[in-house]
Amino acid sequence: MIRVLLADDEGMIRSALAALLRLEDDIEVVAECEDGEQAVAEALRLQPDVCLLDLEMPGLDGVQVAERLNRAISTRCVVVTRHARPGVLRRALASGVAGFLPKSRGADEVAAVIRRVAAGARYVDPEIAADALSDERSPLTDRELDVLRAGRRGETTGQIARALALAPGTVRNHISVILGKLHVGTRQQAVLIAEERGWI
Amino acid sequence: MSSRIEPLAPAVSSPGAVSLTRGVTATWWYTLTAVLFIEVMLIGAWVGFVAAMDFRVTIVLVVAVGGLLWCASTLLLLFDYRHRIDAGPGVPWRRLAVPLVVAVAFGGVAGVLTGSWQLAVMPLAQSLVLLNWPRGVRFRVVVAATLLLVALAFVDSATDAPGMGIPTWLPGAYAALLPGMTVSSLWFWDVMVTLDRARASESRLAATQERLRVATDVHDLQGHHLQVIALQLELAERLLPRDADAGMEQLRAARVSVDEARQGTRDLATRFRSVPLSDELANARDLLRAAGLEVEAMIDPDAAAAPASALGPVIRETTTNVLRHGGGRRARLALTRTADAWRYEIANDTAQGARVGDDGSGLEGVRRRIDDARGTLEVHADEEEFVVVVTVPSNAEEVR
Repeated sequence: MIRVLLADDEGMIRSALAALLRLEDDIEVVAECEDGEQAVAEALRLQPDVCLLDLEMPGLDGVQVAERLNRAISTRCVVVTRHARPGVLRRALASGVAGFLPKSRGADEVAAVIRRVAAGARYVDPEIAADALSDERSPLTDRELDVLRAGRRGETTGQIARALALAPGTVRNHISVILGKLHVGTRQQAVLIAEERGWI
Repeated sequence: MSSRIEPLAPAVSSPGAVSLTRGVTATWWYTLTAVLFIEVMLIGAWVGFVAAMDFRVTIVLVVAVGGLLWCASTLLLLFDYRHRIDAGPGVPWRRLAVPLVVAVAFGGVAGVLTGSWQLAVMPLAQSLVLLNWPRGVRFRVVVAATLLLVALAFVDSATDAPGMGIPTWLPGAYAALLPGMTVSSLWFWDVMVTLDRARASESRLAATQERLRVATDVHDLQGHHLQVIALQLELAERLLPRDADAGMEQLRAARVSVDEARQGTRDLATRFRSVPLSDELANARDLLRAAGLEVEAMIDPDAAAAPASALGPVIRETTTNVLRHGGGRRARLALTRTADAWRYEIANDTAQGARVGDDGSGLEGVRRRIDDARGTLEVHADEEEFVVVVTVPSNAEEVR
């Protein structure tokens, strides 16, 4: 029996998927969670073999849940998404996610992936991989991305400079290069673009 | 035609955007040099004037050295002007205190030593003009500074402060022109930046319009499919009590319709998504690295010229395979150019028994495309390594 935890904030989808998976002989759904925090708590308590996590959940998203669980227990995480935003597959792979699927796959396919992942393999859906390969490349250097990351919550130039151990003038210089490359007028707009495209 | 191989650059940007960014940067240096040149010339004029007035050497030196110091301090103001976009509203007095104090000190000392009111006020006036004023306010500041400097020039010549018989109007007139000339240089820079932004927002507008068109298409497509699905479900509902098999048939057909609708939507949404091959390879490298593999990537600098319609699907399929089968620790990616062909190679070390069952089925579809482009596809698999090598003639795009 493969013990599976389901986490999805959309109740209809969660219960339908759970019911469909329970029809499989070798899969047992041990928990249904409606957000990331609950998924982490339940997974730590129940130690399931596989966690099927929705990417878009309030609070902790699927990849963040997987990251926390992989640090604590030896469960295998599969992330499911309706629309894979740029950069998310890279982030998921880096945090040790074992499977990545679009939500449109049927329950039988999901069950097959759960079996593969439970057996220790990794599964990345070809559609998601193709999307990830056609992501737009960031024109910014690593240092410039650091500056944006350090200032994404509206920190002042001085705070960014302290966080990165740079001179305020250098930070201002980086920012004006960033604004030039992205053709925007303010740092906030640059942060928005970079977040939208999965660069930071 | 270079066949030089370079390790993949960390970030690839479109060459057009880079050269425009360079153009904007060059304009900035031009503006900066122009303003600095006017200032240095003015200091030169004053030094010459003071020297001609037969003042002591120390005074000449004070005016010269202090003047250069002041010019350097205005550099800070100019840099602040360039980065003003990032600053909050208002004038950051604390950061600007140093240049302003330098201006006041130089003006004070030089004014007292030479007895010229205009020289006393000129540095501060110029430094104030360089501040990031709101548009209307800046105009008033410039007019006020010019009027003040003109008035002080008259005061100086009326009191004959610097001495007799020397053309006092020369540095005086020059000084009075300084704020206007400076502001016209800054204005030129502002126009340049605005133009650059306008061009960028124009291309964003085009992208938005395209997106709107796609949205309309998606709406039409979804509407059509939903209608079909609704009919199929209604039919199933009516059929199920009487003829269960026929009802099930309709339910299956509805599922197929849902899949078609989804695929159609996806095709529409990804219709315009294409990136250069070099970007695709860079993404592949990043993904494999994120998956914990050690990746060696070599890509020809003019990979953008490689036949994307033939190689793109190969890159996608093979990268997905490496990601999926996983278990390996190393991967090698290369896109190189030979005399008349492009050679793409991807290799990864296979974990024991990881590749059972479904290898090749995805590659078969790829093989057809490669055959169409008159290329070759070879697969070498042994216990240690799985290698796919694809060669496509350089002129494949024309053949197709």
